[in-house]
Amino acid sequence: MRRKGVDHPIWHVIHPHPNHVRGSVNATAPASGASDTRPAPASPAFGVAGLVLPFRRRISPPGMTADTPASDDHAALIQAIAQRRDRLAFAALFRFFAPRVKAWMLRGGASPVAAEELAQETMLAVWQKAALFDPARAGASTWIFTIARNQRIDSLRRERHPATLLPDPVDEPEEPVQADRVLAMAQQESRIRVAMAALPAEQAEVIRKAFFEDKVHAEIEKELGIPLGTVKSRLRLAMNRLRAALGDVT
Amino acid sequence: MISHHPSETTLLAYAAGSLPEALAIVAATHIGGCSACRHRLEGLEAVGGVLLDALPPSALSDDALDRLLARADEPAPALPPVVNAGLPPPLDRVPLGRWWPIGVGARWRPVQAEGAAWGGLILVQPGRALPRHGHDGLELTCVLKGAFSDGSGRYGPGDLSEPQADHDHPPVAAAGEPCLCVIASEGMRLRGLLGWGQRMFGI
Repeated sequence: MRRKGVDHPIWHVIHPHPNHVRGSVNATAPASGASDTRPAPASPAFGVAGLVLPFRRRISPPGMTADTPASDDHAALIQAIAQRRDRLAFAALFRFFAPRVKAWMLRGGASPVAAEELAQETMLAVWQKAALFDPARAGASTWIFTIARNQRIDSLRRERHPATLLPDPVDEPEEPVQADRVLAMAQQESRIRVAMAALPAEQAEVIRKAFFEDKVHAEIEKELGIPLGTVKSRLRLAMNRLRAALGDVT
Repeated sequence: MISHHPSETTLLAYAAGSLPEALAIVAATHIGGCSACRHRLEGLEAVGGVLLDALPPSALSDDALDRLLARADEPAPALPPVVNAGLPPPLDRVPLGRWWPIGVGARWRPVQAEGAAWGGLILVQPGRALPRHGHDGLELTCVLKGAFSDGSGRYGPGDLSEPQADHDHPPVAAAGEPCLCVIASEGMRLRGLLGWGQRMFGI
């Protein structure tokens, strides 16, 4: 049922970035302020907080290495996978993200079996596409969100129309990488987190429903028992506030 | 210069993955050529990332990670081949039907898409009206070549038209070259040439 493809990531066709592996960027570990919700490092021997170790290129055997980043530094974990096929880094990412992707798919109406399958396919794509992760474009959670979303669309499509795949609409030449932009993107997620926490409950609810329950606005209207105009205006209000949090990045 | 963009709610539905396929293809065609909307989209996707982080986890089976690591050498799936070399992504990889004449001065080529919306390419000779049907649901039009005008302005290559429900001014292809657009709608799907003839001429 899965498409078996050629042995190179053809996504390079859609993401024609000249330098996916940013060897020269010197950034500090992102978003440490929000790490309290994340699992502690599996073992202190493998966690070195405050350093983006994958940027230090070194030759080491595949799999477990002593350079595996802290388990709450998700961007560094993805880069460790890209550069060293670091299985310990992948396991740390998997422990955090796979149960959340599964929860999302369940909310979207998938059966437990299908939700687990989609979480697995998402994490497999994270492993396969780690070299395409660009911390100057997106935070780690954002990148994994888009992969899970695409897997979800793809799986729905596969049931009815296996030949098509809608690629990400990215076809512009990449601007040169700037370390401050990497840092800004890493901080963006924490700013949105703060803005989300500050939203009134009813605005946060329509945003969550729009993202995770695959609800068109008319369905949210029925479910919440509020008029369509109210759904739209809540969404607009919420988006205005979130846009303010995003403003200085884009 | 792109001057017409999708609404925030349409972009939000695209970011969330809930836009039906045909409409998502039109939105993606616009976003692919519009860096402003790319940035808007990336912001919305970042919201999705933050929400994903905050979801209460739902445990996988005990051997899930081991089963996945056993597949670690699988190659990434390939994109489907380019089948329409002259069209911008994602249309270049989307299967299209054949061209159908739909009245005088217009031709229609359906997109093979699933879901609650239908869509396709439309090629309209200068000065002719584009078919646009009722007002039920979302309708998106992205100009690929040429231009058209309606009551709300002029739409050139890359522009996206998202008419409001009360919008009632028929779009007309501008003078000069024929206007090529990709259109999708979740409105009522009329079948066959008669349906298009009805829409074209308001019979």
